[in-house]
Amino acid sequence: MRLELGKIRIKDVQFGSETRVGQGVLYVDRAAVEGIVGEDERIASVSVELARPGEEVRITPVKDVIEPRVKVAGPGGVFPGMVSKVDTVGEGRTHVLAGAAVVTTGKIVGFQEGIIDMTGPGAEYTPFSRLNNVVLVCEPVAGLPQHEHEAAIRMAGLKVAAYLGEAGRDVEPDEVDAYECLPLLAQAAAYPDLPKVVYVYMLQSQGLMHDTYVYGVDAKRSLPTLIYPTEVMDGAIVSGNCVSACDKNTTYHHQNSPVIHDLLARHGRDFNFIGVVITNENVTLADKERSSNYTAKLVEMMGADGAIVSEEGFGNPDADLIMNCTKLEKKGIRTVLVTDEYAGQDGASQSLADANPLADAVVTAGNANEVITLPPMKKVIGHPEAANVIAGGWDGSLAADGSIAAEIQVITGCTNELGFSHLSAREI
Amino acid sequence: MVKEIERAGIPVVHMCTVVPISLTVGANRIVPTVAIPHPLGNPALAPQEEKQLRRRLVQRALVALQTEVEGQVVFEK
Repeated sequence: MRLELGKIRIKDVQFGSETRVGQGVLYVDRAAVEGIVGEDERIASVSVELARPGEEVRITPVKDVIEPRVKVAGPGGVFPGMVSKVDTVGEGRTHVLAGAAVVTTGKIVGFQEGIIDMTGPGAEYTPFSRLNNVVLVCEPVAGLPQHEHEAAIRMAGLKVAAYLGEAGRDVEPDEVDAYECLPLLAQAAAYPDLPKVVYVYMLQSQGLMHDTYVYGVDAKRSLPTLIYPTEVMDGAIVSGNCVSACDKNTTYHHQNSPVIHDLLARHGRDFNFIGVVITNENVTLADKERSSNYTAKLVEMMGADGAIVSEEGFGNPDADLIMNCTKLEKKGIRTVLVTDEYAGQDGASQSLADANPLADAVVTAGNANEVITLPPMKKVIGHPEAANVIAGGWDGSLAADGSIAAEIQVITGCTNELGFSHLSAREI
Repeated sequence: MVKEIERAGIPVVHMCTVVPISLTVGANRIVPTVAIPHPLGNPALAPQEEKQLRRRLVQRALVALQTEVEGQVVFEK
């Protein structure tokens, strides 16, 4: 499977009379976007806002971030099973409006996080402050059940990303990167002298606001399975998932997973990256046992020597992470885990809810309990009052002047467990 | 919570869904429950069946509370 990603660099976003890309600027036909969102009768009203890097703007609560893309060659379309027909994607050519994003916001449940500050200290903690964002503020019709509300906003974001992506169809990309993945046996034979590495990609799947979709299938309803890395890059996995926002994978993360990109970058040189196993994080112990058994078995069947395992979320998913780790290690497959930490505001508590001596190689994306004060912004898009009732906030988090004192877990993508963030450590 | 109450000399039964976490944190009497969002209930059951389920779990916990243990025990039935 060979996929070309053609990146069209977007340096600015502006409203315009038609949606198009010109000289690195994404022009957005506001009325057209409102019309697309308004097609869904579950949404009563929508306003479209723009948020650019450096502007004194706060977006909250963020539901999803999505990169606009368009499939220009090869089978299928963007977000198969959600927006496009459920064809297999991951080959051909896809154009990417790199530097632009669709951000959805809407208050669905009582406790709902997700802050993107476009400037100030908070902006340093989220990669999405560096994008030219088209923000959809969606209000549901009265009495809409929460599950329907979530689905409506999720689909609105994906549809608008697909619509904006179309503007890049006939634009010559600034750069084109090609990725090629072979069928398993051919891939394994390609570099016989290198250790074979599998990526175990854990997908949050615990219900409302904690779900992930693979080709339109709710991940909680699937056994672990195989997927080509290029399918993931090409929009096969989308997010329905935003609480606590710091370590949930938005759709943008799935489209741009640094774990997959870094594995491919060193593939054939340092190791042989033979494939991806996607698995879930469900809410019963039997599900956790079954999925981790199945994951370990699949990785063994693939003949892997080692596995990278990334978690999504924290708390009980730590048990899924440790089960995946121990079951792989006991089969002789060495593991490296990628997670984040909830070590308390002083960093002194146990970092994960579960642990095991076999988990002896762990990469952390940071301590989500660290406290930050986000200064007031001139403009807030969304519902700032949510800051008082969000995980990582407390009563009084939102001050009268509009500043927010809270744990960094409120910031979208802050301690992302795919490593898609700017946090780093320094020895002192 | 479990460990602090036990430290005060009062036996504790930890009813929880994710037993491995309970084992890791050091509970001694563990009763597995239904699911993380609804540990002591099951919305898929009819009300009468769910009541029986809840009663079974509480009775199991009471038996566990009265059982002498050496180290960690998971009360599966």
